[in-house]
Amino acid sequence: MKTSIANIRLFCILVMSLFVSFSMNVIAQGSDEGSGFPFVVVFLLPFILLSLFGIIWMVAYPVMFLWGAVFSSGKVEQMHHEANNRRDSLRNRKGGEILNTIDGGYRTDVSSAGLVSANGVFGPSHWHLMIGFFNNLIGGSVTVFQQVISAGRAEVMQRLREQAESDGWDEVINVRIDTASMTPQSSNSKNTVRGVEIYAYGTGIKYE
Amino acid sequence: MEQVVNGILVVNTETIPGKVITETMGVVSGSTVRAKNVGKDIFAGLKNIVGGELTQYTELLQESRNEAVGRMVADAMSIGATAVVNVRFATSAITAGAAELFAYGTAVKYE
Repeated sequence: MKTSIANIRLFCILVMSLFVSFSMNVIAQGSDEGSGFPFVVVFLLPFILLSLFGIIWMVAYPVMFLWGAVFSSGKVEQMHHEANNRRDSLRNRKGGEILNTIDGGYRTDVSSAGLVSANGVFGPSHWHLMIGFFNNLIGGSVTVFQQVISAGRAEVMQRLREQAESDGWDEVINVRIDTASMTPQSSNSKNTVRGVEIYAYGTGIKYE
Repeated sequence: MEQVVNGILVVNTETIPGKVITETMGVVSGSTVRAKNVGKDIFAGLKNIVGGELTQYTELLQESRNEAVGRMVADAMSIGATAVVNVRFATSAITAGAAELFAYGTAVKYE
């Protein structure tokens, strides 16, 4: 894996250096003839585009980072709050909680059964990651990540309830909640997406 | 009403509520490794800066799980089972953006 990446890098450097030398050549020839301008533009276009992208990124990243710093905590709390509200209204409609973790396979008053599932991938913002980094230095509980994960879990549980309701199940038994990291432990690249997947599944049952 | 995938009943309880299991036929499994395209990966990376739900990955994993369950059901059909009970899911991230989804359960016959 590592050698292949090194090979790809070498290849890219080779191609780029060839490209640059070729375009330099063209520029030199163009200056002799006096009509090389379009060629120069054509050969330098990828580099111009790359630098433009870099400049845009330099402006856009701090703006998005600040946006996250100002709004992300509030958005997480709002998501948690909305999920709880939807849960309460569904409980009122159904007359109680419809999810439970007990294995009710022994029931005999059931006419049909089937798998129900819901999932969601939630990531902390880069602002949260920064707070988490400083929190790690001190130790103790990292509250920002806990807020993100618990809000995501509340949302996924609510999605499972709504999925069960729209599929027509009366109750969901044997509910299991899995958490899977989208980022592998072995990867030490900085450019990966930080996210946690929450997956809830259970057996929907319908009474006779 | 009954969630039946290709004529096979899938539940994650040890027994099927309201039915009687007559024969167990061993473990069946299905897995899939999926990755999203580069464009959506970049978009998810941008969304990651401000935080919140990454919808691209949610869809990716849901599709992949359905595919894994489909393969498990095909496995159960090939040995002549009529239901799969005690279904479990396992996930592993191979590289960023690519995930392996694995579904396994016990193939049974029921009345």
